[in-house]
Amino acid sequence: MGCASSVPDRNAGSLTGLNDGSTASDSKNLKVKLVLLGDSGVGKSCIVLRFVRGQFDPTSKVTVGASFLSQTIALPDSTTVKFEIWDTAGQERYAALAPLYYRGAAVAVVAYDITSSESFSKAKYWVKELQKHGSPDIVMALVGNKADLHENRVVSVEDAVEYAEKNGMFFIETSAKTADNINQLFEEIAKRLPRPSVVSV
Amino acid sequence: MEQLYGSHASPFRCRFLSSYLSQIKYQILKVIVLMYNCSSPTWTSHLGLIPFGLVVPMKSWILLVRLEKYVMTKIFNRTFAPVPDEKKHDDQLSEKMALVQQFIRPENLDISSTFRNENSWLLAQKELQKINMYKAPRDKLLCILNFCKVINNLLLNGSLSSKQNPPGADEFLPVLIYVIIKANPPQLYSNLLYIQRYRFRSRLVSEVAYYFTNILSAESFIWNINAKALSMNELEFQKKMESARAFLPVFLSNSSQNISGIKFEYKGNKMDRIKTNKSIGEQLSATSGSHQFHSQSSEYRKDPFIANRRSVSVSESQEDSNPLEEQELARYFVEYPFLYTSVGDLTIKDVETLLHSYKKIVIEYVSLSKGKTDINQSFSSPFSENKTQTNNNNIDSVDESHKSVEN
Repeated sequence: MGCASSVPDRNAGSLTGLNDGSTASDSKNLKVKLVLLGDSGVGKSCIVLRFVRGQFDPTSKVTVGASFLSQTIALPDSTTVKFEIWDTAGQERYAALAPLYYRGAAVAVVAYDITSSESFSKAKYWVKELQKHGSPDIVMALVGNKADLHENRVVSVEDAVEYAEKNGMFFIETSAKTADNINQLFEEIAKRLPRPSVVSV
Repeated sequence: MEQLYGSHASPFRCRFLSSYLSQIKYQILKVIVLMYNCSSPTWTSHLGLIPFGLVVPMKSWILLVRLEKYVMTKIFNRTFAPVPDEKKHDDQLSEKMALVQQFIRPENLDISSTFRNENSWLLAQKELQKINMYKAPRDKLLCILNFCKVINNLLLNGSLSSKQNPPGADEFLPVLIYVIIKANPPQLYSNLLYIQRYRFRSRLVSEVAYYFTNILSAESFIWNINAKALSMNELEFQKKMESARAFLPVFLSNSSQNISGIKFEYKGNKMDRIKTNKSIGEQLSATSGSHQFHSQSSEYRKDPFIANRRSVSVSESQEDSNPLEEQELARYFVEYPFLYTSVGDLTIKDVETLLHSYKKIVIEYVSLSKGKTDINQSFSSPFSENKTQTNNNNIDSVDESHKSVEN
C-alpha cells in the first residue's frame, strides 16, 4: 500500500480528533466523518448535494466539487451534528483504495440504485469490506437511491430490509431527485451515533 | 518533540536530527509559554496539538505555523527522503509514470468524455509541479490543495457546460490520477511522506485531510498500476510498457529539463515525431549509454552534451530537422566539450583544460583561416572574411575551410 500504510491514526477517533480550531467537539456538538460508498452512477453525489444544498438542479452553481462537503444538522434534543462527507470513487478499478477513505469514519453510507441489481451486489460487497476492515463501532446505513423510478425497480424493498437487518444496518430508500427521505436519512444516522461521552473513553 | 511532529518521525530520526530537535524544542516551549502569558484568557481554539495537552490560543498558533516553517526549512535536507529506500521508491514511481504516461488514455481510467479537457489539465499539472519549490510541509500541502482545487473547478465547468450532475469523487479521482501521471512530479512519494510526518496533525483534518487522502490513494493506485487497473489486456499492457521503455531515455532527459527549471511541455505533434523516429531514439540512447560510466573529465563532458542535444532535438518541433543529421553534426562537436557547458558547471580544475583548448582552437583557427585566404587568393576569388563571428560560426568556418583545404 506504499506510503498509505503510514497514514496517521491520530485522527482516527473522528469524534474527538477532528478539531480544526474553529469548533470543538463536545457532548452538544458532534463532528463526524461520514464516508459514502457505492457503485458509480447510483447518485452518491446527488444525495449529498440534496442534503447539503437542498437542491437537485444540476445546472445551478456550486462553488466546489461535491466530493467533499460538510453540513450541520440540529437534533430535537438541542445537540448539533456536523457531518463531514467523504465521497469515494465507485468504479471497480478504485475499489482497493477505499480503506484509505473509510479509515476513521464514524459513519458509512452504502448506496445502491433500486433499478440495478448489479449496484445492489456491489453494495453488499462494500458492507462486507466494512465489516472486515472498518472500525468496529461504525454506524452503517444502506440506502436505495432513485426511489422515484419505482416502475423500473429490480431490487425489492423486502430483500434490502432483510439484508440490512441481518447486518445490523439502518435501511432507507431515498430519491435525490424528489428529495424524498434525504433529510430523514441523515437525521436517523445522527440519532444512532454514539454520544461522545462513550466514544472519547 | 514527538508530540509535535508525530510518532512517525521517530523511526527515521538520525542522531544529528535528534540533538538538533531537542535544542529547538526548548525554544518552542519558551515561545509557547510566552504566548500563554500575553494572550487573552478566552482561548478561542482547541488545537489538539500540543505539548502538555494544553490548549493554544490563536496567536500562538500563527507563531507555531511560522516556527514549523522555519524549523522544517532549516532541517529540510535531513528530513526529506532521509533513507535510500524512499529515494528508490521515488525513482521507481517516477519511472512508472514516465512509462505509463506515454500510452494512457482518459478512457483507461473511466474519465467520461464530458470531462476530458487535456489542455486545461496542463494548468493543474503546473500547480502540482510547484511542490518541489517549497520546503515547509504546509507550503507543500498548499500546492496539493491548489492542484485539487484547479481540477475541481475544471470539472465543475465541464459539468456546467454539459448540464450534467455536479462532479463527485467518481469524476474527481480518475482525473486526479490521470493528471498526476501526466505531470510526473519528481519525488512525489517522498513529498507525501514528508507532509504526513511533519505537518501538524491538528491541521491535517477535514477538507485538507480529504484531498490529501485523494493524493495518497492516487499514489497508491499508480504504484500498483497493472493491466487490470487500466482495463487492458495483459499482453497489450506488457507490449505498451516495453515500447514505452524504448522511448524512456528521451522522456527522462525531458524530465531532467523540467527539474532544472526549463519550461517544457508535451504537445501531440512532438509525441508523434518521437514515435516516427523510433530507431533514432534508440540509437541516441545507445550513444549516451556508452558514455555513461566514464569518469574521465573529457569523456564525462560528452554525456551531458549529448543529452542536451537530444532534448533540444525533441523540443524543437517547428522545424522538422532530421535528427540523424543532428547526430552527425554532434560528432564534430565531441572535441569541444565546453561548448554547451554553463558557467555554474565549471570547476577550478577546468580552467587549465579550458585554456589549453582555447589556445589549440585559436592556433587552429588562425592557421586555417590563413590557409583559406591563401587558397582563395591563389584562385583570386573575392571572398571577405567576417572577423566578428560567434563561437558557433567559428567552428562552422573552421569546418568549411577544412573542406576547402582538402579540395
